[in-house]
Formats: sequence, structure tokens, C-alpha cells
Amino acid sequence: MPERQKNARIRHIAVALDCSPHSRASLGAAAELARLLNAELTGIFVEDINVLRMADLPFCHEIRMFTAESEKIDASTLERSLKVQAKDAEESLQRIADDLMIKQSFRVSRGIVPAEVIAAAGEADLLVLGRSGRSPTCRKGLGSTARKALEEGKKPVLFIRPGFSAKEWPVLLLYDGSEGSQEALSAAISIINPGMRLNVLILGETQAKSVEMEQALSEIMALPDSAVEYHHLPLCAGKTLMRYIRMVDSGLLVLSERMKMSREEVHQLINEIDYPVLLV
Amino acid sequence: MTLPSKLTPEQLYRTCNPQEFSFNTTADLDGPVIATGQKRAFDAISFSMGIKHDGFNLFALGPNGTGKQTAIMHFLGNSAPEAPIPSDWCYVNNFEKPRHPKALRLPAGKAGALSHDMEQLVEALVTVIPSAFSSEEYQVQEKNIREQFQEQQANEIAELEKKGAEEHIALIRTPAGFAFAPEKDGEVVKPEEFMMLKKEEREAIEEKIIALKTAMQSIMAQIPKWQRETQEKIKELNRNIASFAVKPLIAELRTEYNEIEEVSRYLEILETDIIENFDQFLDKESDNKELLPGIYPGKFSQKGASFNRYRVNVIVDNSVTKGAPVVYEDKPSYQNLVGNIEHISQLGTLVTDFTLIKQGALHRANGGYLLIDARRLLAEPFAYEALKKALRTRHIRIESLAQLYSLISTVSLEPEPIPLDIKVILLGERYLYYILSVYDPDFTELFKVAADFEDELPGDFDGKLAYAHIISSIVHKDNLHHFDRGAVARIVEHGSRIAQDSTKLSAHIQSISDLVHESDYYAMAATREIVQAEDVEHAIHAKRFRSSRIREKIREATLRNSILIDTDSEKIGQINGLAIYSPGGQSFGHPGRITARVRLGKGEVIDIEREIEMGGPIHSKGVMILSGFLGARFGTDQPLSLSASLVFEQSYSGIEGDSASSAELYALLSAISGVPIRQYFAVTGSVNQFGQVQAIGGVNEKIEGFFDLCNARGLTGKHGVLIPASNVENLMLRHDVVTAVREGLFVIFPVSDVDEGIEILTGIPAGELDKSGCYPSDSVNGMAVARLNEMAEKIKKFSSSQNDDDQ
Repeated sequence: MPERQKNARIRHIAVALDCSPHSRASLGAAAELARLLNAELTGIFVEDINVLRMADLPFCHEIRMFTAESEKIDASTLERSLKVQAKDAEESLQRIADDLMIKQSFRVSRGIVPAEVIAAAGEADLLVLGRSGRSPTCRKGLGSTARKALEEGKKPVLFIRPGFSAKEWPVLLLYDGSEGSQEALSAAISIINPGMRLNVLILGETQAKSVEMEQALSEIMALPDSAVEYHHLPLCAGKTLMRYIRMVDSGLLVLSERMKMSREEVHQLINEIDYPVLLV
Repeated sequence: MTLPSKLTPEQLYRTCNPQEFSFNTTADLDGPVIATGQKRAFDAISFSMGIKHDGFNLFALGPNGTGKQTAIMHFLGNSAPEAPIPSDWCYVNNFEKPRHPKALRLPAGKAGALSHDMEQLVEALVTVIPSAFSSEEYQVQEKNIREQFQEQQANEIAELEKKGAEEHIALIRTPAGFAFAPEKDGEVVKPEEFMMLKKEEREAIEEKIIALKTAMQSIMAQIPKWQRETQEKIKELNRNIASFAVKPLIAELRTEYNEIEEVSRYLEILETDIIENFDQFLDKESDNKELLPGIYPGKFSQKGASFNRYRVNVIVDNSVTKGAPVVYEDKPSYQNLVGNIEHISQLGTLVTDFTLIKQGALHRANGGYLLIDARRLLAEPFAYEALKKALRTRHIRIESLAQLYSLISTVSLEPEPIPLDIKVILLGERYLYYILSVYDPDFTELFKVAADFEDELPGDFDGKLAYAHIISSIVHKDNLHHFDRGAVARIVEHGSRIAQDSTKLSAHIQSISDLVHESDYYAMAATREIVQAEDVEHAIHAKRFRSSRIREKIREATLRNSILIDTDSEKIGQINGLAIYSPGGQSFGHPGRITARVRLGKGEVIDIEREIEMGGPIHSKGVMILSGFLGARFGTDQPLSLSASLVFEQSYSGIEGDSASSAELYALLSAISGVPIRQYFAVTGSVNQFGQVQAIGGVNEKIEGFFDLCNARGLTGKHGVLIPASNVENLMLRHDVVTAVREGLFVIFPVSDVDEGIEILTGIPAGELDKSGCYPSDSVNGMAVARLNEMAEKIKKFSSSQNDDDQ
């Protein structure tokens, strides 16, 4: 597809791996995207320096997950466990890359996890990571790494959660005519799987503007009409927007940080929404 | 002495006058078969069927082919439809103890309906339950419960994390669990930095960490409990949803069957089971663990065979039964009587469930009548015992024989026994009844009534009419040509011949039925629409001819003088006896030469047949009786000074029966007296010690046997047979014999005493004692006495010369 070629700026995808369910979902999504975009995939595994440091502290004990027993942490065992995790991650990356016939590389670094992930992703065109990692609280919102990537990291970044298959994503694009949402549109078109529907949620200040935007969009739209569906919502944010997104119940949400709503609103939306998000 | 006169042709054959019948052909007879002459048996049947107490089952005894079954069926055909229709029975799953399937009793015709309703129910559940569980309402509720758990867990840990953060302690996820460590600016304090802290500070941190750790442990200890609670909540939700989906469907059934308490109870348990196991209705494809290969799994298979557990196995369906059922079990094997539990091989293992329970004849006949052939029942292993057990316990208990005798060891069932209320009618030969009565104490308790069927019907008009009706019913049943009254009359006559009694008719319906079919065949061959007397005659003749090979061979040998039978001259000490041969069910008579020789001796009669063990006990008894007669007649004044030997010439197999004893006596008298016997007569009849001639069997065949031989050699008018006078009533001779008698070519004398016989045979009177106690010298007895005296003299002389020599 020439349009896709033109808009395709993503040649290199980085994915953060830590053996959690979120990270496995991230790997699946990243690999699927890499196949679609013919991009190279790099797996990043960070050995958490905090864990290693803690092991050297004289009194630190580990509370075992399934027995609630407390045991002295042994630095060498811990090192070995991390190596095993890294190996697992590498193997799963290799397996999926072989399956989908994509180019891959794997990198292990040591440090504070969020910072290392963001730094390692620096060279990539897209960072894919789980909404939350192996964080102990099983929280609903974003994990520490995702939060840091959202706040400080390079864009675009794709936040993944388990339960969505990258192959069958319909895409929901938030569009308000801003430059940011134009970029989001290009990104959405570039990653949408052939045959899937693109839902465009137009956020217009007025009804008229909203219709105008739809007309403008349909003129420049690179996808056939049957593959695009337009929805309209008065410009809003927060709970109303979230409810509407849930109602459309589309797979991947694509939006930009530089839209008419504030960056904080965008971040809050990403933090609370229960869908995978591609932030441009 | 007055000699008996020859029998007239009318005495030889009792004809049945077709004009006696008012019908023209059997087509005019369409009424029921009028049973006659079986009053005793019918009274017994009626009594047995009427009495309601235990053990009054019936044994119908009589020879095979006498129509016992037909008569009973006819009797039951009138009474059974009036009786109430018995209940339906079915087996259903026992949800608490699947090894013991439950038996349900339903009003007639309801079992099939219940089975159908259950199929419908399962069909409905397959749609209703999945749709209830895929509803948004359920999904939301389930998600809420799960999230509640996640949230609870997350909140507790987040709370702790927050508490730690306030004190600069970080909660760290390790590969195998959690740990706490002091942090500074989001990073864990380096060990060297930590060691540089003051001892008090380190201790303070350590304490905080211990406190946090303890708190963490107590949170984690609670996680399984929360998980259980969550699971319980989800279960409760599932139950509610399933119950909401299932209840209206079952309620409908319960209303329909609310009058049948057992079914209502079953439906109640069924409802609970479906609600508990709702998930089997969700996963259609994978749930085939109970699928049985090698058998068509029925409608439910499409939805997984686990629904088998909700099926209804209809064991007895009386929906189309009228009155009480009447069942004839042709093969009364154990399984066919009490039912069976079948197994199916599944990956080399034998498996079963309640749907594989098969009914037996006892189930089908429950509430009615079961007819079984006694011989077949006794020939089937374990069947008789099983029948007795069922009757004794009044329950049908299905047990696997192989299981019972440990021939196989696999999972089997013990279905709930079904109450039994039945009349069993055994049909069999008399000897079976007598053997069972003697040797089986249970038998007399369980089969208290015997219906003893007569072998014969009275030969009166009623009997003849009954024959006509029997013929008519056979014709109707088997779609044969109708018989005119002449043909019927001929069959009636044949019935008398089979009965060997001109005043009776044979009750052996099988023979009559065979004759009817054969006559129909010949009528058809002669392209006649109505079977006539000549067709019947043809059939009788043809049947006789078919089985005549041995008879013809013997006659041929006789005509060639390979077997020596004199039918012409007069001979001393030689007579024609008459023997019956019965190869393969057909019997025929043929003369046999009996000879007697005498010599000096001590008065014994040597039966050569007995000496070489070819004579049976009755034959020997006959010979001894005639010795008694001889002794009494000639040995009262002096000892008999003779030895006599008696033999059946040219007999190469055993001899049995005493019907030749009169012939043997005549031969002896001839041998002693030296009076020749007329060889153109043949003799049959037994004698007693007083010389009276007694009745014998097979008189018709015997006469015909001699007639055939004489006829082949050419009848001269002097040929004839001496028969016991008491056998005259048994005469139903062939037409050719009767014709020869009518034409004066053949004679038959009824003899009641040996003195009559010897006079007919020798032409010389036997002689009666005069006042001086002597027989006239020109009589047979007189000549015998003279000869005996002569022999006594010779012995005396011989003994004295012997004594002289000794001295």
C-alpha cells in the first residue's frame, strides 16, 4: 500500500520484557506490528538494580508469594533467577520472531527499570510496554515504567494490556483537527490491520465544525469508506469521554499528546482507560 | 364253543358322513374355534387365571402339538383385554448413587411421553443455559466479583506500600515474592551507604521492615481466603443464573406430572443436578468424556453424551397395550426373561450406564400373562432358577450373569428391582411336569395348577364340528383353499385313525394342521378351488408313500423269500406274528415268523430272545405268563415232561412288548399237539394266565402289514388276521383293506380267548374238559395231552433205564 509506505516511519520497535502477563501481551502486539510494518523488533530486559542492592542489605528477607514464608535473600540465587528470567524473555522473543519471520534483537541492561527501559528505547521508533509490569500491587492504573514513559519518554509509545489481540484490533482514533491528532491519524492508518475498521471519534467544538472535520477527513482518508466509521462527540474530556470510548468498545485507542485537551487530561485518560493505547 | 364271527366292513372303519355337517365348505365357518373335550384343562386354566394368590401359576401339560398354546391364547384372548392396563416402567439416573438406577412407575403410556419431554428439556437447556450465561448481565456481575477480589488485594498491598513509602521503605518485587528495603529517591539504598548509617538508624530501619514484613505476611495469608470467598460468590451467582434459566422449564414438567409423586420427586432432584452441573450445557464440543463409541448415541449426542444422565430409559411402554399383556417368550434365556445390562467397549474397557438396561419378557408381561415352553426354559442355563426367583420374591431384579459368576469384572449396575405381578404359564410334555413335581420342591409351590390336556377329543358330533372349526381357522390363518365338507369328513376320519380309536378324534392339532396344508397343496396342484376328500386322501397316501422305503424293503425281502413268511400252507409249531416297526415317527406293521419246538424236558419254556438278551422285560413277562397258562392247563396231574423253545425267526434286533404272546402260545400248542397251523392267518394279542386274549396297540398297522404282504402275493379269500376282541373299537383301517373284507378276500376275527383262536387257526376245536376231566381226543387240547403223556412215558422209561445202568 503506497499510503502506508509513505506514512511508515516506524522501522524499529522496542518492547519491554519482564515475564509478566502484560509484558507477554506487549511482546505479541509488538511482534504483530513489526510484521505488519516490516520493522525490526528489539526486546529489552532490565535487571532491577533495586532488587540486587536489596539482596546485599544485611537484614533483607523475601516473603514468598505462595507460602507467605519469609526467607533470607541470597544475592547469588537472585542473580541466577534474574538470568533465568532474562533467558525466558529472550527465548519467547526468538520464538515469536521466528514464527512471524521478523528481525529481532535482545538487550539486557541493569539499572532502575523505568529509566533503563526509556533509555534503551531511545533508538527505536516505537516503544511497546505493558500498562503495568510485575509491580506487587496489581494496580489498575499504569505501572511505574509506563508512567515514566508517559511522562518523560519519547513518543510514540504503545501501552498494552492482556486480553486484546493485535491481529484483530479495530482502531479508535481521537480526532479534533489539531496537528497532534493529524499525526495520530497517520499513525493509526499505518498500524491498522487490513480488513479492520477504523473508528474515528471526532471531538468538535460545535456540531457544524464536527461535520466539517468529517468531510475534510473523508476527503483525505487513505482507507476505503467502508473501513471507516465516524462518531461525533462535543469536545470533552474525563469521564464523559471515557464512557463514550467504552461504548464504542473498539480495540486500540490512538491519540496524541498535543490535542486540544490538555496533556494532563490525556495522561489521566490513558491512566484510567482499560484499553491498549497508542500515544503519538 | 361258538367261534366269533368275522368282522363286518362297517366294524373296520367308522366313516364320517359329510351330510352330518350343515356347512358346505369351511368358508361358511368363521366363528371362533369351539374347543371341546378339554373341559378339565379349561377349568384349570380358568381357575388359575382367576385366582389372585401367589403361586397359582399354571403348567399346561400334554403332548406337543395338541394346541395347548392355541387354547390358552384363545382363552386369554377373551379375558385379557378386559383386565386393567398395567403401568409403564422406566429407569432413570440415580443422581446420588449412579450404580443403582431408579425405577419409575407411570400410568400406561406416560413413560414414552416423559422420555420425549426429557429430550425436549435437554434440547431447551442447551440453548437456554448458554444464553443466560452469555448475557451481559451475568458477564458484568462475574467481572465485578473478580475485580472486587483484585481490588481488595491491590488495596491492601497499596496501603502497605504507601505506609512503607512514608517511612522510606520500598516494596520490591523479587522473582519469587516480595521484599522490603530502605529507599532513597526511588532507589534502594546501596549496601555501603546503609552500612555507613548509625547503628540506631539501621536498627530503626530494620524494625520498620520487620513490621512491614509481618503486615505483608498477614495480608498474603488472607489471599487464599479471599480467593475462596470470591469462588463461592461466583458459584452462588452461577447457581442463581442457572436456576433462573432452568426453573421455569422444570416447573412446566412438574405441573404436567404433578399427579405422579415419583416423577415429581425425580424432577426435583433433576433440577438440583442440572443447576449444579450447568457447565456441561455450556461446553458443547469438549465434553464428550462419556461418549460411547460403537453405538448410535441418539439425539443427545450432538450436544455431548453427558446428557445421557438426563435420559429416560423406557423399559415397559404400554401405550398401545389393550388390557393385560399376553407375552409368549420363544427363547426363554436368562437375559430374555429378566432383562440385561449391556456393556460397551470403550478403549478396551467395558462401560455401562442405566440407558443400557434392557427389558426382559417378565417386564413386558408384568401385570399380565407370560407363556413359556417348559422344555426350552429348562434347556436355558439359569433361566428356570431366575424365573422361580422372580416369582418367589415378586420382583424383577436384573443381574448380570457374568458379574454374578465372576466371569467378567467390570463396573456394572444394580438397578432397583421392579415389583412383579404376573401369571406364568408353562407349556410342556407330561413327563416334564412329573419330573419337576418330584424333584423340585419349589415347582409345586409356584405352579400349583396343572391343566392336563387330553390327547383325544370325543368322536361325537361336537368333536367333529370342532375339527371343522380347527380346519377353518387354519385355512383362514394361513390363507389356504377352503375345504368342502367331504374333505372335512375325511380329515375327521384320519383324526380317528391317528387316535387309534374309532370313537375318538386325535387332539394332535399339529398333525391335522399338516394334513390340511398338504391337502391344500394337492388341491392346488389339481387346480381345484375347493379342497375335496380325494385331495385329503391323496395327501394321506402320499405321506405314507414318502415314508415307505423301509416298509417296502422288508416286504420286497419277504416276497423274495429272503425273509421267510408262509402265507399259504399249514405248518406245525409255526405261526405268523405281527410286529410294529417305528422308524422316525412313522410306524408300520409286518408279519414275523414265530416258531416253537418241543423236546423231552422238565417243563420249562425257553425264550431264545431272552436268553440272548434281545427280548425286553415285557416280552419275557409275556412268555412267562404263557408258561403259566401251559402249566395250569396241562401240568396239574403230572409234571410237564417237555422243554419248549420259542423264537422270532429272522429278527436281528430286539423284541419288546407282549402282543405276540398269544401267537407264541398258539405255536406252542401246535408244536405240543402236532396240529398244523394255517399260515394264511396272522395273529396279534397278549394273553393272561387264564388264556384270555388282551388288547394290544397298533392294531391297524399290524393288520395292514399282513394285508399288504398277502395282497402282493395275491389274495385268495382265506387270508386273515386274528385280533383281540377288545381292539375292535380301535379299528380305522385303510380303504383297500376294508374293500378286500367287503369282497370276501380278507377276514378279521375278533378273538377273546386262546381256545377260540386255536380253533380258527387249526380248524380243530380246542376241546373242553369232559366230566372225567379229560379233553376229547380229537381236540387240540386232547392231542396235546396225549403227546405230553407219551413224552412223560418216554422220560419215565428213560429214567428207569438210566437208573438200571447206574445200579
